[in-house]
Amino acid sequence: MTRETRVMLEYADDPAQKTLEGYRENGGYQALEKALREMSPDQVTAEVETSGLRGRGGAGFPTGRKWRFVPKTDKPKYLAVNADESEPGTCKDRQIMERDPHQLIEGSLLSCYAFGAKTAYIYVRGEYPHSIKALEDAIDEARAANLLGDKILGTDFCCDVWVHPGAGAYICGEETALLTSLEGNRGYPRIRPPFPAVEGLWHCPTIVNNVETIACVTHIIKRGGEWFSKLGCEGSTGTRLFCVSGHVKRPGVYEFECGKFTLRELIEGFCGGTLSGRPLKGVMPGGSSMPVLRADELDVTFDIESVQKAGSSLGSGAIMVFDDSVGAVGAAVNIAEFYSHESCGQCTPCREGSDWVRRMLLQFAAQDARDGDLDLLMDVTDKMDGTTICALAEALVWPVQSFVRKFRSEFEAAVRESAVGTATQ
Amino acid sequence: MSTNGKTVNVTIDGKQVTVPAGTNIIEAARHVNTEVPHYCYHPRLSVVGNCRICLVEIEGWPKLQIGCNTNVSDGMTVFTASDKVREAREGVMELLLINHPLDCTICDQAGECKLQDYAVDHGTGLTRFAFDKQKKPKNVSWGDKVVFDAERCILCTRCVRFLDELCGTDEIGIDFRGEKVSLIVRDDGQLTSPYQMNIIDLCPVGALTSRDFRFKSRVWFMQFANTLCTGCARGCNVVAGAREERLLRMVPRFNAQVNDHWMCDEGRLNYTFVNDEDRLVAPRVNGKDVPYDDALARAAAILQKAKEGGGGAADIAVLGCASPFMTNEELFSFAGLLDALGVTERRFAIPMGEGDDMLLHPEKAPNARGARLFGFQDAPVDAERDWDVVVHFAARDGGGLPDDLNAKSRIVFSLQVDKNADVNFPLTTSFEKDGTVISAGDRLQRVSKALTFAPSHLTERVVLDRLRGLIEDGYQGTDTAALALARIAQEHAAFEGLTWTGIGLQGVSLQLAEAEVGA
Amino acid sequence: MSFSPELVGQVENLWTRYPEKKAALIPAMHLIQKERDGWFSNETIVDTAELFGVPDMHVRGIVGFYDMFHATPVGRHVVRLCKTLTCKLCGAGELIKHVSTKYGVKNGETTADGRFTFKLFECLGHCTTAPMMLVDEEKHESLDIEALDGVLEGLK
Repeated sequence: MTRETRVMLEYADDPAQKTLEGYRENGGYQALEKALREMSPDQVTAEVETSGLRGRGGAGFPTGRKWRFVPKTDKPKYLAVNADESEPGTCKDRQIMERDPHQLIEGSLLSCYAFGAKTAYIYVRGEYPHSIKALEDAIDEARAANLLGDKILGTDFCCDVWVHPGAGAYICGEETALLTSLEGNRGYPRIRPPFPAVEGLWHCPTIVNNVETIACVTHIIKRGGEWFSKLGCEGSTGTRLFCVSGHVKRPGVYEFECGKFTLRELIEGFCGGTLSGRPLKGVMPGGSSMPVLRADELDVTFDIESVQKAGSSLGSGAIMVFDDSVGAVGAAVNIAEFYSHESCGQCTPCREGSDWVRRMLLQFAAQDARDGDLDLLMDVTDKMDGTTICALAEALVWPVQSFVRKFRSEFEAAVRESAVGTATQ
Repeated sequence: MSTNGKTVNVTIDGKQVTVPAGTNIIEAARHVNTEVPHYCYHPRLSVVGNCRICLVEIEGWPKLQIGCNTNVSDGMTVFTASDKVREAREGVMELLLINHPLDCTICDQAGECKLQDYAVDHGTGLTRFAFDKQKKPKNVSWGDKVVFDAERCILCTRCVRFLDELCGTDEIGIDFRGEKVSLIVRDDGQLTSPYQMNIIDLCPVGALTSRDFRFKSRVWFMQFANTLCTGCARGCNVVAGAREERLLRMVPRFNAQVNDHWMCDEGRLNYTFVNDEDRLVAPRVNGKDVPYDDALARAAAILQKAKEGGGGAADIAVLGCASPFMTNEELFSFAGLLDALGVTERRFAIPMGEGDDMLLHPEKAPNARGARLFGFQDAPVDAERDWDVVVHFAARDGGGLPDDLNAKSRIVFSLQVDKNADVNFPLTTSFEKDGTVISAGDRLQRVSKALTFAPSHLTERVVLDRLRGLIEDGYQGTDTAALALARIAQEHAAFEGLTWTGIGLQGVSLQLAEAEVGA
Repeated sequence: MSFSPELVGQVENLWTRYPEKKAALIPAMHLIQKERDGWFSNETIVDTAELFGVPDMHVRGIVGFYDMFHATPVGRHVVRLCKTLTCKLCGAGELIKHVSTKYGVKNGETTADGRFTFKLFECLGHCTTAPMMLVDEEKHESLDIEALDGVLEGLK
């Protein structure tokens, strides 16, 4: 049975939750009080480790372990909250920022406390003016109430949280590009090593965590890592926000425990099946950068590992559903257009390859492809895979290749029938 | 990079090598004479890893890694030419070329282009790209020295990093995103750095070309010499390129002790005088071209007369005026001639200009140290005195002598005709002869002949030696600069044990007492 | 031309948040773009560079990198319509065609009366209420042609 378990969105429908007063009425900032008065920074990290929390931005790296990478040094340390939510199909972090922003601020303070940072920047994509406004209002309120700034709640803990707006570049959601951008530059991803936890903002140790991840920290400290770890399933503990969009009757942002239902149950049951009533054709279960699953591949339990075994990924929690009115070639074109537009242009394979792939796919869409073009498409995408600075090229390659593999006949049908063109060249 | 003297053992393509800890794979591979292809990596610039051609395979690592940003660790096994690596390189090569205009036929970089070299070494020779190439600006002026071609640019950002990280002028930016990315400069389109032309050498492709050298010659028609820039006392190591006995360009040659990989623009462009049409090519006596023997006889007669007319060494009214552009071997011969004559008045003058804290030295001549070492003083000439003879090596600006100097006879070595000379010998530039100079920091370095000045030409050293032979019975000069150096090594303590080959292409440090060479 | 004292004050306030001034560049450029008619002229680029003490082509490079900064003049409003997968699945294609026929503007163009500049944007993060557009800083979700016309015709 698919039903929501609301933790982060528990009070999201209450308009008062945006205010400090409303948030506190529902137990807000109790976790911060508890941590600052009763827990050492190490205990906060240990609690997060116990919870089994994994990053919610897409890669799913264990959060507590990431924090442990921060070296012991006198250098300043920073938290950069990744609120550059830009993966197509993803609109979950916005729910937290616009409907319950204080849990993000509280989580940021807890995280900073845990690994010794005194400044957190919340990097919000520029196209989210409402999120920026909601966070700024919440931060102002929190600062006025001494929940931010010097000697928070009368303790020795000093910490500031700032909103930092981006300006429209998907790549800035990549953690190192986010840092480069935050420093006031073109958002170029950085080569690793060094990793941000060792050398991030201004060459200082920096932890980059997704909005949802940080919001979870608030609830983990409030209710215990043990409690969190019992939600969901092994490897996918806690609850997660999912954005179901596209051709479904009931699209929306939902909060689920993983491992309790299959993808088919979610889409055909909870979300009511396709809007048009036409047969389901495919689902992208983790944002557009992950391989597509065909309608016959949806009987997969919905958790990180199971979806991975099925050849895709939960990614950013964006589930995009499309019915059989959609052509696979057209969908692939849209995806390629997105990633080639968003390629930062820094490294060769992505800069040159993403545009080439886009142009090849447009040729398929125009029914103007030639014999061998499909092999060429697969070969060029193969050569972009694993040869670039960041994962943007793979975010293009994986879905495109999956569309070709899973809907090959549609691509083959787009190959021009007459061979005259090639013969006379 | 601090390595604490630690070393690591690595295996590269089956060859074992020990390198300092902290060495990256590209540099480690050089130790086994393997070139890992690279565009964006340069040992003196920050590592950005954007070209992706240096991908290598490391045993036990699932993905290929870039050689520039991966330091070797003890026991690491690296494959720089495995099937996986070759395939990835082929892919990168193809992608680098899909939007490249392939206009090698009109590109100055052809022949020394890494895109050409690697396409041959690592490409397939075919393109599968069936679309129109990106159109980007061509022939963009970046001021009076550099010309930019955006279509040829592979966005390695070496030029950006050079001006930012090493010159601090940060004058090249990057605009747009994705496949539209292009380099930009300040609004007025002018680069300002006095070292800007280094970006032309750094550019691995033909995107940045020298306005000075553009379209002058295919590099494979040129001959090259490893020599020095003589624009100032720094003595930057260069490769001078000439064609049909005209000097066409200088580019810096690596020398960690002197100029690293760089040279200044002032020095780089300081060569055109070599090609001047009005150079003096044959000796002249009283305004007429004469054979060398006649000129030598006339000069010897003038000197002999002055020598005999003098009442002793202190009174001999002969002035020897050297130039800091002379090689040590010439200075040695000149000093020897003056010794034979008993001349004590020995002068030279140093042209002075702007210096900086990088390479530019305020002494705008290569060998003031040598001139001092061989007994010439950079002190004013006594203009009141009546000189019987002046033997003058004229620098390019005429150099060193007061205009109203009162001299009965003049023996002048000059680039252009000197109308006041009784005997006028052609002067050669440092690009037309072999020799050594003492650069800043007391570094003894070689200049080498990059072009032949005139077929019948006798070098100044030979002229001086033969003059001495005419004055001093039995004196025999040396045939080559190397032999002259050997003679210097016997007579001067500072040169003891030094040989032409021993100095090599990188030079050696001399231990000179300050008194010998001045401040 | 210098910036208004209010803007300079805001920027100075931003500088206090970071160890280096440059980090405030992008946040400040939003404010600057607003004060300078919605786009970055050469003059504005140079002024911004001077305010921050960075080379002007650094500012130009940022304008060229981020979709929300404009290097050419814009209309009185900026309409950003999402064209990415979910919005396309839910009818953004028809909306784009409609804007082109009814208002005569394609991606990046400004209406003849200068009322708005039309920009196709990649995913704007409102996928569960697709298709959507941002008009300046106001969002309009679950659009159809009628709703879109209602918004665009209401622009002054």
